[in-house]
Order: sequence, then structure tokens, then C-alpha cells
Amino acid sequence: MHAPADPAPLPGDRRHPGWIAWALLAPMVFWLAAFVVVPAAILLVYSFCERDEVGGVVFRFTLENYQRVFDPVYLRIFARSIGYAALTTAICVVVGYPVAYTIARASEVWRHRLLLLVMVPFWTSFLIRTYAWITILKQEGLLNGFLQAMHAGGGPFNLLYTPAAVVIGLVYAYLPFMILPIYGSAEKLDNSLIEAAYDLGAGPVRAFSAVIVPLTMPGIAAGTLLVFVPAIGMFAITDLMGGAKVPMIGNVIQNQFLQARNWPFGAALGVVFMLMFVVTYGLLQRRGARLAG
Amino acid sequence: MKKLHSLLLSLATLVALPAVHAAGEVNLFGWSEYVPQEVLDGFTKETGIKVNFETYASNEELLSKLVAGAGAYDIVQPSDYTAEVMIRRKMLAPLDRQKLTNLKNIGPQYRGMVHDPEDKYTVPYMTGTVGIVVNTAVVKDPIKGYRDVFQPKHRDRLVVLNDNREIVTWAFYALGLPANEVTAANLAKARPVVASWIKLVKVFDSDSPKTALLNGDVDIGIVWSGEAAILWNEDKKFQYVLPAEGAHQFVDVLAIPTTAKHKDEAHQLINYILRPEVAKLVSDKFPYTNPNLAARRLLSPEQLANPASYPQAGNLQPFRDIGKAAADIDQLVTDLKSAN
Repeated sequence: MHAPADPAPLPGDRRHPGWIAWALLAPMVFWLAAFVVVPAAILLVYSFCERDEVGGVVFRFTLENYQRVFDPVYLRIFARSIGYAALTTAICVVVGYPVAYTIARASEVWRHRLLLLVMVPFWTSFLIRTYAWITILKQEGLLNGFLQAMHAGGGPFNLLYTPAAVVIGLVYAYLPFMILPIYGSAEKLDNSLIEAAYDLGAGPVRAFSAVIVPLTMPGIAAGTLLVFVPAIGMFAITDLMGGAKVPMIGNVIQNQFLQARNWPFGAALGVVFMLMFVVTYGLLQRRGARLAG
Repeated sequence: MKKLHSLLLSLATLVALPAVHAAGEVNLFGWSEYVPQEVLDGFTKETGIKVNFETYASNEELLSKLVAGAGAYDIVQPSDYTAEVMIRRKMLAPLDRQKLTNLKNIGPQYRGMVHDPEDKYTVPYMTGTVGIVVNTAVVKDPIKGYRDVFQPKHRDRLVVLNDNREIVTWAFYALGLPANEVTAANLAKARPVVASWIKLVKVFDSDSPKTALLNGDVDIGIVWSGEAAILWNEDKKFQYVLPAEGAHQFVDVLAIPTTAKHKDEAHQLINYILRPEVAKLVSDKFPYTNPNLAARRLLSPEQLANPASYPQAGNLQPFRDIGKAAADIDQLVTDLKSAN
């Protein structure tokens, strides 16, 4: 008995990539190696090293840096950063989902126009946009001026340099990264499935929670990853809009490389931070796999 | 044929051009917002030497980059205490005083300072202090020192430098401790003071602390004197006060790293900056204290009357290098900030 012979492989249907495929992948592989793998390896090595007085790295093995990472001070900062990032992600989902869904369901002409509006802010530097928020929120700023002109009582409100300002800044910066993946999922949504849900007696709430949300879950998961992970490490917004009052893990890491001249400790924080990313990603992948299965 | 000829000609000039420039260029690594572009342009116009200018935002960034071996810089611009450690670690080349004919313009009080007692390695660029700026339109009671600033009634009305060493040093001054003796015992004494102060601050900002004051978000700041001088130029309600307990005086210097490849051009640029009319341009743009006395004579009476640029004499002290204690300070302040 012979096993049925494999059909002659088609050029686009190979299980094993040929040299052309590798050649096409080469720039990507090189990029990953040079700018992701090698720096991460350097970070890992540094995190086990000591330092000298001017901030140079001394290659002598120590675990001290990791012991310090688990000092309550830094654990609290990690926890706070995660809290802010989680709140930002939650607000982004709640605000971004209806926007993305509406855009995906709009007519083609409007879809393009609305998508353009989501992306227009990227044409300006991120820092300039953050400074624009300072102009809006500051005590003699646009918002307080507007409220005074409307004779709304209570003002002027102290908004800038508060935790609320930090969350506003984070949500503003990362909202597009939530809208775009959800839009991608919602656009592919098959209308007949929603109609089927209605035909089978589901109300709008049931159709939304049992059909629409699970089908757009990949978009929500991708958006969550794109918002949550960078939001943990963000330091510019907490400095500019939060007044650098409560340090986030991004600020602490930045400080180790500059003010404190302690690269190994900064590297150890960075390694732990990367591990957190891997864990978050793994959890989301498992959740995604469960939903798909 | 003619086309080909002109193409070859332009190719030849393309090859020749870098050679011409390589003969005359100098790589300057300086503070951001500290060296006016017109100074560099003027130097290139006069000498034909091209200036490649890169910037950093803190002494630690400068040190990190030099230690990491990045870039071939010909002139660096560290602050005094950083120059001190660079000299100790033999990172700076001795200057050729014969080539620095304009060194005589620097005032005697800025010569032979502790970071470089024999003036062998460094030339003062600009100096300044860290002091208190008060919006006198809002704050009516007199502010004389750190203790007057950090009062519960000023809660959330303060901006201070986002610089952990500065903050700890102010606490040392308020407690009467020597500013540069950063020991575990002294840090323990300073800890409760810094803890109570940090709770009162609304904004920590080293880059542009004047912004929060101008915007009306705060009324009192502890800032670089140059920032305070700009505020005073903007509105005379911003008064500068040197803290009675003592204040940090910094001198930013020009120096040549041992690894420099264009030492001759570097000397030329330093000597150019020491000219009175050039040093005046620096004062016009960045109103710190100019150590160049010949340049001071060219300043307007208004510039000289600026209390932040040219303050009354006070108890001024330089920072000294504290080595690894920098990390202890960072841990202390990070700890206290996150406890808020």
C-alpha cells in the first residue's frame, strides 16, 4: 500500500518556504535581530551587572538589581502604572467601540472620511498635541475660559497636573489604536449573522452581547494590547500633564538611565517590564484561542 | 558630450567637497537651549569651519554618552561638578592657553574654581543660580528661603525643578547640613523634610518651569535663574529671591574631551565664544549670569538690572561630584513621591 502521492506543490502553497521566501523575509529578520533581539539581550546582560560612579556598566555578576525591583516602592509603582493603563484601556474600549462600530457600518464614502478624521492627529507630533491639551486644561486655559463665559459656577477648575489630566492625555493619545483594530473586525462582520440573531428572538442587547461582541473580539483584544502595553510605560504624558508628581514605571526607568546613573537597575526594570508584556500577550492569546475554539 | 562633461565635473566637485569640509569642522555637544544658532553661524562665516551641533538635556546624559563611547565630540559643555569627575577620570584634554587669547575677559571670581583649580581643562561658559521666583501679584507675604516656600498655605501652588539632587540639597540647606555631604545619616535627617515638601508641590519640571508660572497654575517656583530672568523680562511681578539658607551656584563650562579629533578647531571656537560681542549674544538669548566681564559691559542697563541674572550676593555654593550617592538620592525621592 502506498500513501497517495502529494499533489505537485503550487508556488504559493508550499509548507516549507523556499529561498525566495527567505530572501523576502531577510529584511524583516535582520530588523528583528538588530533592533529587537540584540537590544533585549544587552538589556538582559546589563540587568545582572554592577555599575561604576559615572554610570558605566561593570561586568560583574549580581542579583542586587532584581532584588531592588521587588522592593515595595517599585512594586507599588508597577501596580500604579498598571492601574492607570487599565483605566485608560477600559475608557478607550467604552469610547472607541461605538465609534469604530459606527464607522464600520457607515456608507463607503463616509467610512473613508471618518477614518481619515481618526488618523488626522497623527499628522502632528505627539508632543505638540500634548502641549495643546496643556493649553486647554491649564488654569487660565480654554476650558476654564469657556466655562466662565458660560457662567457655569464653581470655576476655575484645577485640571492640569492632576491624575485626571494624565488619564485624559493617555486616552487621547491611545484612542486611535483602539478604534482602528475594532474597526477592522467590525467591518468584516457579516450582517446576516446579526439578522439571524434577531430572527431567533434576540433583542438588541442580546444580539450585541452574544453575537456582535464575540465576533469583534479579535479587534478588541488587539486594541487592548496596543493600548495597555504602551500606556504602562508612557512617561512623557505623566511628566507634562501630571506634573511629574507620581512616578510611573516609565519615569523610574528613564531616571535610572539619566539622573541616577544606574543602567543595570534600569535594565532590570526593563526586563521585568518586558516579561509583563509577554504575560499579557500570552493571556490574551489564550483567551482568543478559547473563544475561537 | 557637453552634458557628460558637466556631469563629470559636478561629480568631481561632489567628491572634492567633503574633503574640503573635513579639513575644517568641529563637533559640539552642548546643552539644548543654551547655545544661540547665530553664534555658530557667525563662527562658520568667519572661519569656514563647519559646526556640527548635537544637544543633551542633562549632565548625566552627556556622561552616559561619553562613557558609552558614542560620537567623536570636540567640545562638550558639562556643569562644574560633572567637569570635576570628567577631569578625575581623565576624560578631558588640557587646554592650550596660548590659543585662548580671549580668556582674559573671564572675571577673576570665575577663575580657579574648585572643579578645575588651575583652569587647566575648562573655560566658564555661563553661570547661574537656583533660586525662588515669586508671583508678587498673588503672594503678598515675604518669601526669604525654602521654609517660607514650603508652607501648607502654598499647597498645590508650587513648581520646582524635577531634579532629585536639587530637591534634597534644598532640604540640606534648610536643616543647616553641608550641601555636598550626601551620607546615609544626612539623607535620613533630610527624609522627613523632603517628604513633607513633596506633598505641597503641584508641578515638577526642569525643562520649562516658567510655563506653569506664566500659565497661572502656580504662584511660587524654585527654578534655574535663567528661567526666572525670562519671567522677569515678561512681567516684573515675578521676583527672584536667593534663598537665605543657601543656594546652588552652577558654572557650565566648555571643555575638550581627550578623544577629540579637531582640537585646533575646538580651541578656535572656544576663543570665538569668549569674545565680548559673541558672549553678549548668549546673554541676549539665555539670560543667565555671564562670567565674561567684557561682554557684561555691552549689556543694556535693563539686562544688568535683572535680579535673576545678576542677583545680590548670597550664600552660594557649587555642587561637587557625589559619585554613587546620586542613586541613593534618586531612590529616596522616588520612594517619597510614590508614597503620595
